[in-house]
Amino acid sequence: SRYRKKKQKRYLLPDIISTVEFNHTGELLATGDKGGRVVIFQREPESKNAPHSQGEYDVYSTFQSHEPEFDYLKSLEIEEKINKIKWLPQQNAAHSLLSTNDKTIKLWKITERDKRPEGYNLKDEEGKLKDLSTVTSLQVPVLKPMDLMVEVSPRRIFANGHTYHINSISVNSDCETYMSADDLRINLWHLAVTDRSFNIVDIKPANMEDLTEVITASEFHPHHCNLFVYSSSKGSLRLCDMRAAALCDKHSKLFEEPEDPSSRSFFSEIISSVSDVKFSHSGRYMLTRDYLTVKVWDLNMEARPIETYQVHDYLRSKLCSLYENDCIFDKFECAWNGSDSVIMTGAYNNFFRMFDRNSKRDVTLEASRESSKPRAVLKPRRVCMGGKRRRDDISVDSLDFTKKILHTAWHPAENIIAIAATNNLYIFQDKVNSDMH
Amino acid sequence: MEFKLEAHRIVSISLGKIYNSRVQRGGIKLHKNLLVSLVLRSARQVYLSDPCPGLYLAGPAGSPTPQPGEPAAQPPAGWGEPPPPAARAAWPDAEPQRPAVPDAPQAGDAEPAATVTRAGAALRGRNEDTAGAAWGRVDGPRVAAAEGVSDASSEGPPAGCLRAREGQPGPVSRADCRRAPQPAEEEPCAPPGLGPRKRGAAGPGGGHAGCPAPCSTPLKKPRRDGGEEDAEEEMETGNVANLINIFGSSFSGLLRKSPGGGREEEEAEESGPEAAEPGQICCDKPVLRDINPWSTAIVAF
Repeated sequence: SRYRKKKQKRYLLPDIISTVEFNHTGELLATGDKGGRVVIFQREPESKNAPHSQGEYDVYSTFQSHEPEFDYLKSLEIEEKINKIKWLPQQNAAHSLLSTNDKTIKLWKITERDKRPEGYNLKDEEGKLKDLSTVTSLQVPVLKPMDLMVEVSPRRIFANGHTYHINSISVNSDCETYMSADDLRINLWHLAVTDRSFNIVDIKPANMEDLTEVITASEFHPHHCNLFVYSSSKGSLRLCDMRAAALCDKHSKLFEEPEDPSSRSFFSEIISSVSDVKFSHSGRYMLTRDYLTVKVWDLNMEARPIETYQVHDYLRSKLCSLYENDCIFDKFECAWNGSDSVIMTGAYNNFFRMFDRNSKRDVTLEASRESSKPRAVLKPRRVCMGGKRRRDDISVDSLDFTKKILHTAWHPAENIIAIAATNNLYIFQDKVNSDMH
Repeated sequence: MEFKLEAHRIVSISLGKIYNSRVQRGGIKLHKNLLVSLVLRSARQVYLSDPCPGLYLAGPAGSPTPQPGEPAAQPPAGWGEPPPPAARAAWPDAEPQRPAVPDAPQAGDAEPAATVTRAGAALRGRNEDTAGAAWGRVDGPRVAAAEGVSDASSEGPPAGCLRAREGQPGPVSRADCRRAPQPAEEEPCAPPGLGPRKRGAAGPGGGHAGCPAPCSTPLKKPRRDGGEEDAEEEMETGNVANLINIFGSSFSGLLRKSPGGGREEEEAEESGPEAAEPGQICCDKPVLRDINPWSTAIVAF
């Protein structure tokens, strides 16, 4: 079946993974965790000697991006958890990425060093100054190969731009600017300037008691550097054009689906909150995730999404319990594949779902250690709600809600997916029947 | 109706969440608190729109469940007509088949689905005017409630908190008051249905006096620091003290205090999380004091 993936690797990270992101070529995969660490994986080039290794990912670099901080003025602690990582397009030998916690965004430069100069005149091998009387001749230092060393350094720190909690960052296609969004405001930064940013969206009401809506996610258009979208807790999307005005409070387009009055409940508002928004690679569509569905929107149609997929509709009758145990506030992400033909999102019980937009087929897969052989084929799973039950079905009541897959990422070009399941990072690669494109 | 029970439970849970969010690492999460406050508001609306608050709510010993097959269970003797179907007016077309809060596995939630469905059937066809009428009718007694808070504490043991407080149909915000008044005669369940709920000694407003004259009595609302008493929105913080009235005399200690105790949540005791225990109808006082944060959690920014 075209949906089966070969499980390739599982990494156990020291902390709960909070974000996963491939770079633009897919060669690098970055993860951020709750402890403020970033771990970068690199894909090994396919080797003739080990054809089965097929370009597997290995740890490339690990560094501490953010530390816990304390805001003395407000008497509150700022978590070090990495909310988002975004790669910059590569412009030279170095790689750069932005990582952010609730308040501060940092630009990290990742460089490789595989050569070392040897033969200094004034210093010896350990770097100590030589006794000049022992220097009898001059030599030109030469570069000698050394074991690869990956060095990471913080190049910029973009601080004090946000009063509220940052939920997203997005690099502009101009490669010079990026935006950061918190609950009420979106700021535009220049990558080279850290001491100021431009506020481009501000939805804070004059009286906070009038607050009805917050910003939940935002992203720049992949091709049009003047366009960006942001989603709200009310389930709407706003497309804004920075050419239209300096402050983009007035949207160019508002994408909103009318609420179905027959499905109203105490929790209607919560489950309509959009937790993630992603432009398609083509730039023609947007993908949104709310608590129970993923939706595809056409930029040319504001009235309703063009496609809606049920992720786990069997939870609709359990919203009260999910409210009680806070699961209803879980923010799931969503992802496009490289050709925008398949969309993916996570669910509970370490399940994740894929929807083929062309065939309208969908599949539920599980990221688990049980299917742990390196070349095992993943078996589609099924959740049953009572009634006819097949042998391997899971019943709704036995779902483990502590095992949630919030963060997933799809390689920009190939059928390789990265799934974060709490502390575990699964990388699945599909080599057989790769006809999902 | 069990909607009211469920609504109350949801209010308790929501308050607990708001309380806990204040001690969470990383500071108050605005998004989550906003969503919780929306749920809180919805639950409160449903709770208040049902004019028979205490019907199904008993002490921890267990709830009296309605007899199956009754669209709205008969109130105990002395209660008069069954409550109007306006209870569901908060979402007029909603869920006769799918109750607002279907799934809570709690003691007291054992009401048979049949009741829900039939209640829904009774409600079908009701329109928003019903809600308006309901608001209008309850407004009168509410004033009594606001003024008579101190009497509530004499109502009965805290364990039976809500039953003791049944007389108070629940406050209505000033905004709703303005929307109100429809003659109660529109309703099959006329104001006299409300009267008995106020049970005799229930408070100075007791009896039917308040019912047919919605909004006619001046409104005594607790003052808050900002004094934004004119706000019409649902999230108007002045209603917080009215919320306190809903939950009955178990909060007698709280009710004894001046209703303006709103902003002092900083002094709140730490027993808040107890209130979030499922199945517990009576919340501890300190949590109730923190009802205010359901709005001030946002204002705090």
